[in-house]
Amino acid sequence: MEREPGFTPVPKNLQFRIGLLIGFTVVIAVGFVAYALYARGVFEATQRLTLISDNVEGVGVGMDMSFSGFPIGRVNRISLADDGRARIEIVVPLKDARWLRSSSIFTLERGIVGSAKIRAFTANLQDPPLPDGAERTVLRGDTSEEIPRMVAMLRGVLENVEHVTSADGSLQASLANVRTMTERLAGRHGVLGAVLGGDDEAKKVVATIERANALLASLGGVSRRLDVVLSKTDQRVYGEGGLMDGTQRAVAQANTILGEVRESLKRLDRVLADAEKISGNAKAASSDLAALRAEVDASLRKVSAILEEINRKWPFERNTDIRLP
Amino acid sequence: MNPQATLAWFRGWGTVARFAFAVAAAALSRSSYTPRMLTIATRQVYFTAWQALAGFILFSALFTVITVEITVAAARGFGLEGYALELVFRVLVLEVLPLLTALMVALRSGAAISTEVALMRISGNLEAAQNEDIDPLEREFLPRVLATAASLVSLTVMSCTVALVAAYVSMYGFTPWGFDEYTRVVAQVFSPAALAGFTLRCIAFGVAVAIIPIAAGADATHDLKSAPVAVMGGMVRLFFALGLIEAASLAVKYV
Repeated sequence: MEREPGFTPVPKNLQFRIGLLIGFTVVIAVGFVAYALYARGVFEATQRLTLISDNVEGVGVGMDMSFSGFPIGRVNRISLADDGRARIEIVVPLKDARWLRSSSIFTLERGIVGSAKIRAFTANLQDPPLPDGAERTVLRGDTSEEIPRMVAMLRGVLENVEHVTSADGSLQASLANVRTMTERLAGRHGVLGAVLGGDDEAKKVVATIERANALLASLGGVSRRLDVVLSKTDQRVYGEGGLMDGTQRAVAQANTILGEVRESLKRLDRVLADAEKISGNAKAASSDLAALRAEVDASLRKVSAILEEINRKWPFERNTDIRLP
Repeated sequence: MNPQATLAWFRGWGTVARFAFAVAAAALSRSSYTPRMLTIATRQVYFTAWQALAGFILFSALFTVITVEITVAAARGFGLEGYALELVFRVLVLEVLPLLTALMVALRSGAAISTEVALMRISGNLEAAQNEDIDPLEREFLPRVLATAASLVSLTVMSCTVALVAAYVSMYGFTPWGFDEYTRVVAQVFSPAALAGFTLRCIAFGVAVAIIPIAAGADATHDLKSAPVAVMGGMVRLFFALGLIEAASLAVKYV
């Protein structure tokens, strides 16, 4: 039944105290939930960023993305895309998004101890800001993955060193070659012998050089003769009695012939005047005319022959100035 | 374990289950909430939570400060001090303090309530009430169950709050400059799933601590010698139940 009164003293304002306790508990619980939600950025405007990587080992939901050592974003979701690459969805509060620019670089590093770290690097803060929902490939550095690779490489290097320095190794062979080379350098043909690998080869080279010298001397003779030929050609074309002279003479001849033609035509004029005066003796006049025509024809033929000759020499019929070839 | 003891063990859990269903049914009925019942419940909260509050808060604060110091020193030794606060939150606030609170309430009030109910059975008060057509479940048991559960939740919330504050102070001192980092760790640890798990576990602890000792006390007979056996059985079952809840919660979270 009920506790006996007085057995355990109960304070007067019991209900108030208990109400206070329960109320305080509820307020704290609700307040803490609100604080946790605030801490998770529920009441904050955010933007999204998707990082793409071929391996997200060590990345967990709720992990931070840091910039200059300060957390500016949180991993919200990790999923595997259809192409087999992992997608890390990161939520960045808008007030921290200004550190991310379109030129930012993202890295995913895994140390030997501790979880992976996602870092953002921005070289130029003046670049345009990173758009919402941007997708970037993440650069990955994995210490625990690097170590076996490094050890394997180191072992390879050590094996090579051992191989090189062994008695029948390539280093010994190289040193022997160097000695042979220095011996040749000290020999009769010196550097030439060392480069060519023996005295015989060096001799051949010397002979070749001598022959080349002879060849150059004969080439000098050829070029002198060529000079003579060229000067003769010059004389024939432009010298006295040359091609140009002949042409000038032909033109002068043509002038003479044209003068003759003019004379013939004057005579024809006179003859025609005589013909008008002496209309009685038509027979005699006509015989005179036939002789005269033959003379004119001959003159004309001469003219046309000269013109043809000129045309043959100067193939520019109506072009009066003379061009030299 | 001989067959008889096994049978008794199962019978004990059967009694607990029956009692739990009866209490749940009574708690869902509006007619149970009489002024008398509320008075008994208020008194029970006073004895279970209020009287223990100051001492328990002091204990929580000291315990947290010591744990944080040890954790930070050890983490620094390994160069992992960035994880110290997260470790304190995950281990102390989410796991150890709720369990310690439940054990404290079980030891302090559970044992007392179990003995009280066993004495009621032995003195024949329960039968007398039943003969007077008064259901002892509604009059005596339901307020105690509700009050114990509420007290446990309240004490857990208080001790965890004190631990959160003590952790901040012993990590950063009395400066506001650790607040950003602190908030970040809070965000990492107290995800909605973690908060929901924490709440569920608090309720499960409350139910176990409230129901199992009373069920054990009611299991006593008129024989005076049955009281220690009944109370001991109840406390063992309670310890087993608390361990089971903790293990199940850890398994769900980390396995």
